[in-house]
Amino acid sequence: MTLQQNFLLSRRGFLAGACCAAAAPILTPVTLAATPGDNRFVTIVLRGAMDGLDLVQPYGDPAFATLRPKLGLTPQTGLLDLDGFFGLNPAASALMPLWQAGELSFVHAVSTPYRDQRSHFDGQDMLETGGSDKAERTGWLNRALSAIPRSDARKAIDINTSMELILSGPSDVDSWSTQSNFALAEDEIAFLDRLYEGDEAFARAMQEAKKTDMSADALYGDAKRGSGIAEMARLAGGMLREDYRIASFSINGWDTHVGQKAQFRKAAGDLSTAITTLKASLGDEAWGKTVVLAITEFGRTVRENGTNGTDHGTGGLAVLAGGAISGGKVLGQWPGLGDDHLLDRRDLMPTGDVREIAAAMLYRQFGIDPDNLTGKVFPGLAFDRSSIYLKG
Amino acid sequence: MNPSIPTLAAIRFGYGLRPGEELPADADALLAQIEEGVAEKPRFPREGLTGRIETATRVLSVRAAEAKAAKAGNPNADLRKETQRQAQRIYRQDAMGRIAQAIHSPLGFYERLATFWVDHFSTSVLKSLPMRMIVPLYEAQSIRPNIGGSFSGLLQAAILHPAMLIYLDQNQSVGPDSVAGRKNSRGLNENLGRELLELHTLGAGSGYTQDDVRAAALILTGLSVDNRALEVVYRPRLAEAGPVSLLGRSYEDDEGDGQDHILMLEDLAANPKTALHVSRKLARHFIADDPPEEVVSSMVDAWTKSQGNLTEVYRAMLTHPRAWSDPGQKIKQPFEFLVSGFRAFDLPEKNFAELLRDMEGEDEGPVEKAMEMAGVRAKENAKRKAGRANALTFGALQRMGQPVWQPPSPAGFADEAGVWLSPSQLSERITWSRMVARILGQKMEPSEFLAAALGDAVRPETQRIVSQAPNKVHGITMVLASPEFNRR
Repeated sequence: MTLQQNFLLSRRGFLAGACCAAAAPILTPVTLAATPGDNRFVTIVLRGAMDGLDLVQPYGDPAFATLRPKLGLTPQTGLLDLDGFFGLNPAASALMPLWQAGELSFVHAVSTPYRDQRSHFDGQDMLETGGSDKAERTGWLNRALSAIPRSDARKAIDINTSMELILSGPSDVDSWSTQSNFALAEDEIAFLDRLYEGDEAFARAMQEAKKTDMSADALYGDAKRGSGIAEMARLAGGMLREDYRIASFSINGWDTHVGQKAQFRKAAGDLSTAITTLKASLGDEAWGKTVVLAITEFGRTVRENGTNGTDHGTGGLAVLAGGAISGGKVLGQWPGLGDDHLLDRRDLMPTGDVREIAAAMLYRQFGIDPDNLTGKVFPGLAFDRSSIYLKG
Repeated sequence: MNPSIPTLAAIRFGYGLRPGEELPADADALLAQIEEGVAEKPRFPREGLTGRIETATRVLSVRAAEAKAAKAGNPNADLRKETQRQAQRIYRQDAMGRIAQAIHSPLGFYERLATFWVDHFSTSVLKSLPMRMIVPLYEAQSIRPNIGGSFSGLLQAAILHPAMLIYLDQNQSVGPDSVAGRKNSRGLNENLGRELLELHTLGAGSGYTQDDVRAAALILTGLSVDNRALEVVYRPRLAEAGPVSLLGRSYEDDEGDGQDHILMLEDLAANPKTALHVSRKLARHFIADDPPEEVVSSMVDAWTKSQGNLTEVYRAMLTHPRAWSDPGQKIKQPFEFLVSGFRAFDLPEKNFAELLRDMEGEDEGPVEKAMEMAGVRAKENAKRKAGRANALTFGALQRMGQPVWQPPSPAGFADEAGVWLSPSQLSERITWSRMVARILGQKMEPSEFLAAALGDAVRPETQRIVSQAPNKVHGITMVLASPEFNRR
């Protein structure tokens, strides 16, 4: 009897220790590096191919309304006008104050050199390695570290957490993870539904799990998901305010093949939360020295598909934010949405290389030599001090 | 899904595929594992069998001394806590050893059998503090070496171990008509007698009566545990005076040497009802909730012919064609799911061992107040690592409902497929898959991982959907969460 009582006590202790981690099992990695100086740089990888035409809508293009009958908006139907031609999806309205303060820009019709295959895995690999083919196996941001003048090495403190590819490589980086309850993104849920379609028992369990509060918390819940994103951004912001200078993390949920309107609203809300939380947790001084670059593996088809969504495309959108940019612009050379101007008559024609934006920001923030940027960090990239992105 | 025989052998009768590990070619290859497994030293108890007995008796004697001092008005709370902490730590090490054993042993069928039998003869670490240290010893000492021999031998080894006698209160049972029983008010405890008939041998509803339960309990009186040596002892003072009649046979301890319970165990092992009950339970576990009757009857035949030689019973099951038909009717239990998941990643054993070290990092001393930023980070990081390691292993099994050596009752864990395919179960499995995919799968190609995890058991639609996943982590997640990875 005595033994059992004592056992219960210690068991309670054991469970108390176990609970916190178990209740929050999804670990969200933020990869960080320290460099000299005060300037900061954050990359956000938008996984699943963000529909740039939905976030920053070219409502002034005559073809847009026809191509996007269900998804397209106008300033009359809620679109937030940016410059008389482009407007911001109201799901990202939290970003408007940044736009007005000149701390936010967009670059339309950009892509990596990846073409034709439109596979998420390969597309994301190319985006993160920054190569012009699939042979490169280290991340461009990691290679950039060793090109930063006077950069001192830091010891990696967490070998067990895997780095995201973009910061993986020979230079030492730290990886941290939040232990928030990080729910699945909408597109990921949709994929699981498809996975279980052919197995009745699994399909039924999945449908029930989505309906049941308790299970849905783990899988689903918007509120939980939002707080997970905020926690991740707070972690990154807090670390950058101390002695870290470079951070990278991902936001999933952009693969909107079906029912895009609702899915996109959530993903765009996550992106807005991430950027505004970063700003808040960095504080005015550090935010003033920060550039945030959000990039995606490719864009989506200009036409809506048959399931109120869009499919994998080519030309996409990059987002620039931070106190260190002179923003308030939609950059990039707009190719037009007329049939003749599309790539393969289906995708937004890429007119710029997303790597050039990254190179320009690395040059500006860390003074990396352009020869290093075009040789070591982004082999094969055309970039020099006259880059358009250094003016924005 | 129509997997080849070797793939099905690994999935249905083992712990799944592991890159670089040869698939069992056929029934003979599976059966050959038994002899090898029996001879192998498992990864628990960590100090080995005699080492464990020394550790456990030492911890227990410290505890007993403290209890005595406390009774005399001199409690030592720190010492008491320390023994609890030690027992907890030993359990955690051994439980991680058990998971590692299942992951890293190439003898998947033998390991699955060990899990089956440790569940058939359930004991639990939750019974009492000493059981944290004794249950791992029990599996290594009584179950694993006896899986390939006669059922009678396995039965005796399992019942006559301190773990079983403690778990089912036999150490508290006193014959009413024994020396001790006549002297004081302590009496019979039927717990072990009942489970012996209901769970371990004849099976529920096989026709025995409450009188039989009582008779079995009376025959077991005298059996007890010597806490100092951690041994089963026979105490004649507790033993009911004979004769006692059970199922038409009279048991009387003529010699006074306490051997009547051995005779009873032998008789129960030889009872045809036991052959049917245990054969069906095996077939139900490995093949389907409603197993083909012809498989069960050929197992019973083999049992009868070989006088309960278990290897012959397994052989009868594995060589029956129907044992290989209709794949995927069973759902992997959480322990199997977790083990087969780790196997698919081919995590090196030293990396798995690091998880335990990460968890133990949590136990370090108090945090100093004025700590450098770096120190705080290191501490914080250790805490995060501990949380992650726990969430990957113990936390996950706890949440999925199958913590190591903690069955919910003497009947063990549920075995029906439906129990392990509930909505909450599925969401836990997706959550674990996602977590492990993030931690171990970041650099993997989902399609390659799919091939490594499932071989030719993969459905074409899974192949297609995984290759289209919106990111690699979700691709890996879906491999582990797929129906075919969760079925066997």
